[in-house]
Parts: sequence; C-alpha cells; structure tokens
Amino acid sequence: MTNAAAAIRPAWRSRVDLGLLAWCGAIAVALLCLALKTRLPWLVTFPKDWTLPIAAGINAISDAVVPLVQPTFRAFSALLDWPMRAIRARLVWLPWPAVMLAVAALAFKAGGMRLAVFGVLALAYMLVAGYWPQSMSTLSLVILAVPISTAVGFGLGVQGYRHNRVKPALTALLDLMQTVPAFAYLIPLLLLFGFGPVVGLIASAIFATPPMVRNTMLGLERVPEAIREAGLMSGCTGRQQFWRVEIPTAQPQILVGFNQTTMAALSMVIVAAIIGGFEDIGWEVLSSMRKAEFGQSILSGLVIALLAILIDRITLGFARGGNDSPARRLTGRRLLVVLALSVFLAVALRLFLPEGALLPGSGLRGQAGFVNQWLLGVVRDYGWLFDGIRNGVLYSLLLPLRIGIAGAATPAIWGFSWTPALGLAYTAAFLAGALWLAGRFGWRWGVALLVTGLFLYAGFVGFPWPAFVLFAGLLAYRVSGAGLALFAVAGFLLIMLAGLATPLAMSLYLCGLAVVLCVLIGGALGVWAAHSDTVSHILRPICDALQTMPQFVFLIPALMFFKVGEFTALIAIMLYAIVPPIRYVEHGLRHVRADVVEAVEQMGATPTQTLLNAKLPLALPVVMLGINQTIMAALSMLAIAALVGTRELGQQVYVALGKADAGMGLVAGLSIAFLAILADRLAQAWVKRREVVA
Amino acid sequence: MLKSTMLQSAGLALAILAGVLPAGAADLGAKDEPIRLAMLEWTGAHISTHIAGQLLQKLGYKVEYVTAGNFPQFSGLADGTLSASVEIWLNNVGDIFPKVLAEKKIEDIGKLGLETKEGWIYPKFMEQVCPGLPDWTALEKPECVQALSTPETAPNGRFLDYPADWGSRAATIIADNNMPYTAVPSGSEGALVAELEASEAAKTPLLMMFWGPHYALAENDVGWVKMPPCKDESNEHCIRPPDVDKIVWSGFGQKWPAAYEFLKQLQVNATDQQKMMLAVDKKGQDLDTVVKAWVEANEAVWKPWIDAAKE
Repeated sequence: MTNAAAAIRPAWRSRVDLGLLAWCGAIAVALLCLALKTRLPWLVTFPKDWTLPIAAGINAISDAVVPLVQPTFRAFSALLDWPMRAIRARLVWLPWPAVMLAVAALAFKAGGMRLAVFGVLALAYMLVAGYWPQSMSTLSLVILAVPISTAVGFGLGVQGYRHNRVKPALTALLDLMQTVPAFAYLIPLLLLFGFGPVVGLIASAIFATPPMVRNTMLGLERVPEAIREAGLMSGCTGRQQFWRVEIPTAQPQILVGFNQTTMAALSMVIVAAIIGGFEDIGWEVLSSMRKAEFGQSILSGLVIALLAILIDRITLGFARGGNDSPARRLTGRRLLVVLALSVFLAVALRLFLPEGALLPGSGLRGQAGFVNQWLLGVVRDYGWLFDGIRNGVLYSLLLPLRIGIAGAATPAIWGFSWTPALGLAYTAAFLAGALWLAGRFGWRWGVALLVTGLFLYAGFVGFPWPAFVLFAGLLAYRVSGAGLALFAVAGFLLIMLAGLATPLAMSLYLCGLAVVLCVLIGGALGVWAAHSDTVSHILRPICDALQTMPQFVFLIPALMFFKVGEFTALIAIMLYAIVPPIRYVEHGLRHVRADVVEAVEQMGATPTQTLLNAKLPLALPVVMLGINQTIMAALSMLAIAALVGTRELGQQVYVALGKADAGMGLVAGLSIAFLAILADRLAQAWVKRREVVA
Repeated sequence: MLKSTMLQSAGLALAILAGVLPAGAADLGAKDEPIRLAMLEWTGAHISTHIAGQLLQKLGYKVEYVTAGNFPQFSGLADGTLSASVEIWLNNVGDIFPKVLAEKKIEDIGKLGLETKEGWIYPKFMEQVCPGLPDWTALEKPECVQALSTPETAPNGRFLDYPADWGSRAATIIADNNMPYTAVPSGSEGALVAELEASEAAKTPLLMMFWGPHYALAENDVGWVKMPPCKDESNEHCIRPPDVDKIVWSGFGQKWPAAYEFLKQLQVNATDQQKMMLAVDKKGQDLDTVVKAWVEANEAVWKPWIDAAKE
C-alpha cells in the first residue's frame, strides 16, 4: 500500500503544481494588463476598429434568404391562423357556466374534490376580475401550442433516442431554444410568418418543445433492459416493441415532459402579446405595466398564475393516473357525459340569453386604482428608507463591483481617494488571506481569493478583457477540458468582436452579483425552511407566486420604490432567481439520508456542525443543481430587467426589436444563450469531477 | 400643411371634374371584408381607434380591432394583415417605419390633428428646489444639480431619458449645451410613469423627458422646461411637437375607397382625448361606452367627414 501511495504522490504533485502554475501565470498577466492600462487603453476598452459587422452580415444573409422562403412560411402561417381563430372564437363563445362545469369535471377526474373546487374558484376569479374573454384567448393559445410542441417534441425525442449521431446536435439545438430570449427572434419570426397571433404561437412552441424532447429521450433511455428483452422474447415486431413495450414503460417520464411543455407554453403568453394580434391576458399585463398600474397588473398577472397552477395540477393529476378513490368513480365515460352536458348547457344558454348577458361589466379591475394609491402612500411615507437602502447598496456594492474599488475610492463617491499606501495594504491583505486559505483548504481557494481581489480592484467594466478571456478559458480547461475551454474563449471573443464588450461586462456584473446574493439569501432561507415546517409552509406559496406570476408585475413597485437604475434591475432579477436556491436547498437537506445524520448527531456534533459538515456536503449535488438553475433564471431575466433601464445584453435585444434589426437581436440573444450554456456546462463538469473523485 | 390639403382638395376637385376618377371612387368597396384597425398599447390610441371604428361602422363597414405592438404593427400594415393605424407618433417609429414607407407598402394619409407636446418636464414642486424654472438656465445652478444628483450620476445631475430603444435626443441636447447632467435611459413607458408618480408622492426631485397628451399629465401637476436654443434644426438636436399621422396599408384606398376618404378627414382633439382617457383609465368606465357617448354628442364634428366620404 505504501508503495502504491508513493507511486501516486509524485504524479498528483506535479499535476497540482501545473494547475497552480497556470493560474499564477494568468494572474500575472492580469496584473501586467492592469499596470499597462493607462499606456495601452485597448487592454480595457475593446477597440472599436476590431469589431466585425456580424449583425450586418446576418441581416444581409436574411435579406437574401427571407424573400425566397417567405411564401412557404406565410402559407404555413395561414394554415395555423385558421384553427387558432376557430378555437378562440369557440372558447369566447362558450358561456362561463359551461366552461366551469367542464373544467370542474376534468379537475375532479385529475385530482379529486379539492382540485375541482380550486378550478371553479380560479375560473370564478377570472370572471369577477373582468378578464374572462382575455383568459379564454390565452387558453386557446395554450391549447394550440401544446399539441404542436408535444407532437414535434415527441418525434424529435424518438429520433434523438434512436440515432446516437443526431443527439449532440439535437441537444445543442434544445439548449439554444431554451436559452435565447424569445425577444431576440421575434423580428425574424415576424419577417417569416407575418404579423399576427401565429407568431406568438410559434414563439411559444419553440420555447415549449425542448422539455418534451428531453423527457422523451430520458424516458426511452431508462427503459430497463429486462423489459426490452421480455418484449423481444415474446416475439414483438419492431413496431410492437416500440409502441407496446417501450412507450408504455417510458410513459411516466414522457408525461412529465408534457406537463413541463404546457407550463412553458403558458409562460410565453406575454411575449406573444408583445407582437399583438390577439387580445389576451398577456396584453392586459403589458398594458398595465405601461400605465404603471400596479393594481391591474396584479389582477391580470394573477390570472396567469392561476391558469398555470390549474393546468399544472390537472396535467400532473392525469400523468399520475388519478389515484384518488372518489376520482376513480368518475370513469372516462361519465366524464364524457359531463363534458357533453356542458356543451348542451352552453348551447342552451346561448339560445335563451342575449349576447354578453352573463359577463360582468368591467369587473374588479375598474376598482383596482386604490392599490396604486396605497403604493404611492408607502412611497410618500417611507421614501427616505428606500432611498437609503438603494444608495447604501449602490455605494457599498454595485458601484465598486462595476468600476472597481480603485474607481469608487474617490472623494465624490467614498469621500477619500485611492493612495499607493492603500493599494499596498489591499494587496498585502489579499496575499495574506490567499496564503492562509491555501494552507488551510488547498491552493484552489487561495487562487479564487486572489482572482476575486483582482475583480474587486478593477471592477467588471474596467477589467482587462485579455485577462478575463484567459481566466474563463483556464477555468473551463481545468474543470472540463480543452473542448469547453475552446468554446468559452471563442464565445467571449466573438461577443466582443460583435461590438458587445460593454453590455457583456454589464450582464456578467449584474447576473453574477444577483446569483451570489440569491445563493446566500435563498440558501439561508432554504436551510431555515428545511428545519421548520412553518417557514416551509409560508415560503412555498411565495415561491409559487414568484415563479408563475409574470415578472413584469413586480417591476412596478420596484420602480416606484427604487427608481430606474441598476439597483432596481438587481431586485427584479433576484425576485425571480431566488426561488431555485430556496427550493433546492430545502429539498436537498430534507432528503439527506437520515441514518447518516443520526450517526453524526450521536457522535456529539452540534446542530451547526451537523449542518455544515454532514448535511450540506451530502446535499451538495442537489444544491449545485439549484445554483445551476439560479444562473439560468438570472440570465433569463436580463431581457426583462431591460425594462427598468439597464445597459446589458437584454437592452441590446430590446433596441434591436425597436429597430427591427434581426441580426443585432440574434447576436445579443445568442450571447445570452452562450453565457447560460457555458455556465451549465461548467456546473455539470464540476459535479461530474467531484463524483469521480468521490 | 394647410397648403398641401388645399392642393389636395383642389386636385381632387379637378379629378372629379375631369372624370378621371371612376364613378365609384367613393364606393364602399369590399364592405363585407372587415377593416382591421390596429389597437396600440396606450389608452389614447385606443380612443382614437375606437372613434375611427365606430364612425366607419356608421358608414356601413365591418370593423375589427386588432391589438398590435407599436413596432410589430408595421409588418402587419405592410402586408395588409392590418388595414390601418390612426395614431402613429412619428417621434417613435423605429427604423422599420421609414423602410416600409419607402418601399410603398404603407401610405401616410395625413395628420390626425392631435395637439401634441414633447419636452423636458418636472413635477411642480421642483420650482422651489430650482428657482428660476421653467427656464432651462435654472437647471444649471449648483443647488439644482445637487438636488438631482444620484450615486449613479454623481457629480452630475440625473436626467431620466426615454427608453434606449426610442433613441436618445436628450443626451445630445445636454451635450450641446454642456449641461452638468447624465441621461439615464428609462427602459419603458411604465418606468417613466412610475417615476413621475413616485416623485410626486415622495417629493423627490425629478427631471425627465415626456410627451402629451398623456393621462399621467392629467393627474400630476408638471411644468415644461423652456428649452435651450437648438444647435440646429435637425430632429436629433431640437425637440419640436411630434407629428401624429394616420397610416394605412397601401392597398387600402383600392379596397375600401369611401373608408379611405373618411380616414383622410378624421381628426382627434387632444382635450377630448384626454377627458376620455381619464374616464377609461381612472374611473374604470368601458372604452366602447365612453367613445359612443362622445360620438353621440359630437355629430357636428364628424358629420362633414362622413359626408365627404359619401360624396
């Protein structure tokens, strides 16, 4: 054994030294760049002459291609337009008692009495709030987008499962479909499909298809070999083997995909409304946002949240197969009878009642003005407090991160200037800290602290870009390998060459800070929720609301309290991105193996020790997944944060939308997608490495 | 403008005299096919559109209101998916509008006649903070700059600009006059309104770009800055009241001749529009009912337009 250890140690040593050496080299390059930045300003500001007309190139290509393919797409658009109008007309025509009866029956079948009551209450709310026709329009968009996404997704998933060669390309495509903000491809879609609700439908379908593909592939891959063999041995033909053996086995997973596809389609209704052509609930949310009417935006946002929860529970209920005993009494045939009855009721009501007799006038939404009055009252009474919070965070956190400590330490901002003595003390403190960390936990921690120190000193916007690209490439190489390193370096360089260096830095700065804060705050809340059922019960509906309400709704109070600017953008991003850390940390901690925790406790560990040394390390894979989701959520909010006046990539997407500049929108959207995919791959590689080590 | 209308009507008269126009020029045309009017995002446009729609119905047309984003609408108007849009603010049309106009896919059929305003506004209490307002020189005094300064713009004062995608003329004008201000893009109309309302409520200083008629102006007491002299007369360096025009799809005149003539005549008055805006937005009344009441009370206003179309 000693021999083996002796043989391993030198190899291990030399590897560590190589990594350490590379990092020290990169840090030296960064220091050199910082030292030279006054003499060679191009080290900090990416030179304008170097940028390539990438967006213009895309536009030139699309100008040439679009006229050729336009007729095909327009025909397709006309083909979809018809069923869309028909479904909407039917749903709006149906009197609400009939819809309510049908939904109640479906909900009862899916989840029993409680869900049926919830369904009726949710629909009643839409009616009372005065959003009935709009809700039905939205429903018709979902009803048409979901089958399209499901069918296409299932087909692609089967192909991906059968042909291993297709799979990498397919996965890359799915990543893009889920991470490029929809605003970025609205202009190309408008060019191809023409104006109208069909564009919204296509955008929804693009975003909603990937979960179906992924889950179909996953489900089919997970069919146990034994079941497959049993099918073959009983003499199945290829087709029988697929439809009678593999699909039924994979069905639960495929249904999870269906459920996620439905939710994704619903989350796109606001984007669909930006184009217009359809008076739906997303349009109402946008209009109230435009008017800064918080009351109306809550009322209309709640409709979307309720629809999401209702559809989620119903599809999940059917996916599980309706296990409740009362629900089982409602057999398929009886359900059909109830549905037929509701249609009959509908026709009867229509025949005997005048048009629109059953709908309330403008409903609650006409009375929602007091919410704004209340909000403004809060602003009036506590404005000083909000100003104080904002300025405090701006001075102590946002500004130094953006322009660096050296930039913030001026008489105008911090009241003192940056002297060489301070610089020396700063360097010494970080070096000492890094050495201590390196000695105690390993050199990686020391290097991490030094890199953090560099970023804090120079700020995200003032950081020399060659050093940044070097750091990113090195990190990707060390965590994953040459492939990812190449991807990272090429991606960052391309974004800069496209002339988006500053928006890129702003995006990294805003998202990076939001993710760190979300993981800290959300993680703490998650730990608390894992140890207290009361906290868990309070947090759950809040998380549900933050995830299903359109994020536009929260922008209005954030704007009134904190004004246009980076702090408000940070709040907006965090409100959405804080949910994954809460959920995943709680879930991870609650499902740690009980026997291990017990053993640790019996060894006399304090609760804090148990948490830090046993529970958290055990829950780490789940927590990492949560962090991954946090990064995705933060990046997906960039496009929405642009509405409160930021200068990041999301704003570029908006500006491109206004200019109808398809190329610029795509470039900015792809840049956001690149960041998301890179972060995802890094996290995955990191988890895999840890698993190998363990 | 007056001249061009006169010329136009003179031309029209000549054309009729000479019999150049076919006899059915003021025909209803394809009256069974609905005219699709774009309903844009703001209430003012809803009102103008519904006035046009209700009067077109009186003429004997079918009308469909289609919600449309301010920029996406132009792709709809260019290919005829949308038939007309009656309240286009030419200061906010992006780059797509001039493009499709030049390609002759859409047609500009003249002004809506809405009395507009655009410029720099401030809540009225600012006159105590910056004595000398509304004159722009008051903004240059140190105490005024100090009051408007924020951590993000220090030592400059903060100027809340239009969203980045609407273009940034304010920044140019600030630079033209060497004013100690930094223009901060606001991101959306909602952000502008929210800031104005919050500023009024908490009495925090604010200086921003805005336009009228806008219902936010009916609720909040604001002053308009008397602007510094323009460096030159170009749109980039000078703010003038924006034009609001009526735009139709290029095939509109052929398909619905009478409606075309009518829309050319249509005018909307800013005071009326602002009153209706308040009724809809703040009193929670139904849009269609509010406009119907206006139509019933103002026959004298719109009768000549319908007569002109029927001629």
